[in-house]
Amino acid sequence: MRILVLNWRDLSHPAAGGAEVYTEQVLRRWARAGHEVTLFASSVDGKPAAEIVDGYRVVRAGNRFTVYREARRWWDRYGRGRFDVVVDETNTVPFLAHEWVDDGARTIALVHQTCEEIWHHNAPPLAAHLGRYRLEPEWLRRLGGAPILAVSDSTRDALARFGARDVTVVPEGYEPPADLPAVAKEDRPTAVFCGRMVSYKRPWDVLRAVELARREIPGLRLWMIGGGPLLDKLRAAAPPGVEFLGRVSERVKHDRMARAHVHLSTSVREGWGLVVTEAAALGTPTIAYDVPGLRDSTRAAGGVVVPPEPQALARWLCELLPARMAEPFAPVPYGGAHGWDDVAATLLTAVELHARTPDRRSHEDQLRGADVPLGPDAGRVPGVAA
Amino acid sequence: MVPTYHSARTLDACLASLRNQNHPDVEVVVVDNGSADATTEIARRHADQVLQWGPERSAQRNHGTARSSGDVVVFIDSDMVLEPHIAAQIEAEFTAHPGVGALVIPERSFGDGFLARCRQLEKHLYVGDPAVESPRAFRRAVIEELGGWDEQLTAAEDWDLADRTRRITAVGRVTAWIWHDEGRIRLRATFAKKRYYGRWIDQYVRMHADSSGSKFARTALLRKPGSLLRHPVLTAGLATLKATEAAGLVLGIRDSRAASSPGGAR
Repeated sequence: MRILVLNWRDLSHPAAGGAEVYTEQVLRRWARAGHEVTLFASSVDGKPAAEIVDGYRVVRAGNRFTVYREARRWWDRYGRGRFDVVVDETNTVPFLAHEWVDDGARTIALVHQTCEEIWHHNAPPLAAHLGRYRLEPEWLRRLGGAPILAVSDSTRDALARFGARDVTVVPEGYEPPADLPAVAKEDRPTAVFCGRMVSYKRPWDVLRAVELARREIPGLRLWMIGGGPLLDKLRAAAPPGVEFLGRVSERVKHDRMARAHVHLSTSVREGWGLVVTEAAALGTPTIAYDVPGLRDSTRAAGGVVVPPEPQALARWLCELLPARMAEPFAPVPYGGAHGWDDVAATLLTAVELHARTPDRRSHEDQLRGADVPLGPDAGRVPGVAA
Repeated sequence: MVPTYHSARTLDACLASLRNQNHPDVEVVVVDNGSADATTEIARRHADQVLQWGPERSAQRNHGTARSSGDVVVFIDSDMVLEPHIAAQIEAEFTAHPGVGALVIPERSFGDGFLARCRQLEKHLYVGDPAVESPRAFRRAVIEELGGWDEQLTAAEDWDLADRTRRITAVGRVTAWIWHDEGRIRLRATFAKKRYYGRWIDQYVRMHADSSGSKFARTALLRKPGSLLRHPVLTAGLATLKATEAAGLVLGIRDSRAASSPGGAR
């Protein structure tokens, strides 16, 4: 199959995250399986406009704002007629491929997470309000006209709230490190937080929870792993019992995560929350805030979710930590996620099963805001196998 | 014992917290009342029994009590999340104090947005006030002697049961918390809910003319002025919230009187 994947970043982008790892792991496997795969992403300083990576082609153009327009322009000049299916990988802003792919190729969207509350953490107040209540609902409403794949039940539920009707949940992937650190748990009660020190991960909540919990468990210690804009401020607050490691190598990270008794996660929202999966694979259970995404990964990894309040996190920590120190937590295979081979195969099957050729007429109706009559075959072109 | 009705938003967290109790022997009974959402599907994932009964919460709770087998019956609402050691503490309290027949579990609230934080302040002020707090955990013999919940009442049924309980047995308390999920509080919805409850409150007041005054005065709100002064903005929000609720209740009570007096029939 000839597959075009649109994503605003590729793995070589300095700010690449979990979604880019997912894309890279899946695409290299599709390429290895004999498919002709192209990834379109924004340009990266020092990286060529086109290259072959792990058997698939990467095309780069535009910046984080213009990549969407560039993708469409590239389609007009080079892409049209050369692909069987287009995957619109959406990170808040969709490429809306189903509105401009016009050569009979099928399209499908892949959504890791919706942005929603995170707007308030990543944008100034007015822009955040505009983004959360105007832009994103409108983007997702339009995206809802295409079939969508979501990486968690939480993301599927969120998309359904914005009106998407055809959403299929696909698994999240994780490959445990080849050399799992063979270390014993610490003697002192130890919690670990691992993530970027940014507002939407709520590192302050972790500090507060540990401060409260130390009233009951005075020896409690917290390791804060990760860099980010808040690191200096957090460090300056220097609460007792907390050690900031900053950004560390994977090896150090795995070592610390494996030695801690419990992993804490307090994000506002995640698509899945891969760090929870990682901790479980290393034999460390998670106590996480009960928010979309974290609740999926934490439950799958045998952890516990709590009301999103520092006081609640502290209470659960005090109750669960002694038991965790007394009896070890067995590492969870793949941390409750799936191996990448499994993910790549499932995702390909889902794409083949659910991608469909955009229906120009219903899309134009939708743009006009008209009510499209919805039968079971709405959105499908007669004669084209879905 | 968890009564449900269209509880899909909060039920999963609630039942998971019951299943995560560190007490080894917890029975979970859900009594639904014809929900059309995913409530029963979620309930079946966690509960030992999922029953259907009606017409209202009190009847659902009594039915669940009759169909359950535990020595202690704990009534939990579908928007509550329990700390993991509550069941163990309940057993410890009942074992240590044979004269205590029922236990209060203190509550905290959480939710999204400003009004939820106002509500958090309010709940904080109520902790330890017997006029507001109602027992949730009962020895089976006690709840059976009481004849369960009053099925004539749909609101204030918890106060009614608390009053009747205190007449026949001592009421103790545990230290672990229940976390009450307020979601996103909206003034309009709050008003409508209180107006609906107001109809039943009127009935409760007639049944308990002696003690009901203290429940509505909610003097606890003013007994800890320090907490209010420390959070002036939340206090202002809380005042708005309480005023909205009061207006709803008053209208509800008026609805009830208008409907029951012969001149009020339309």
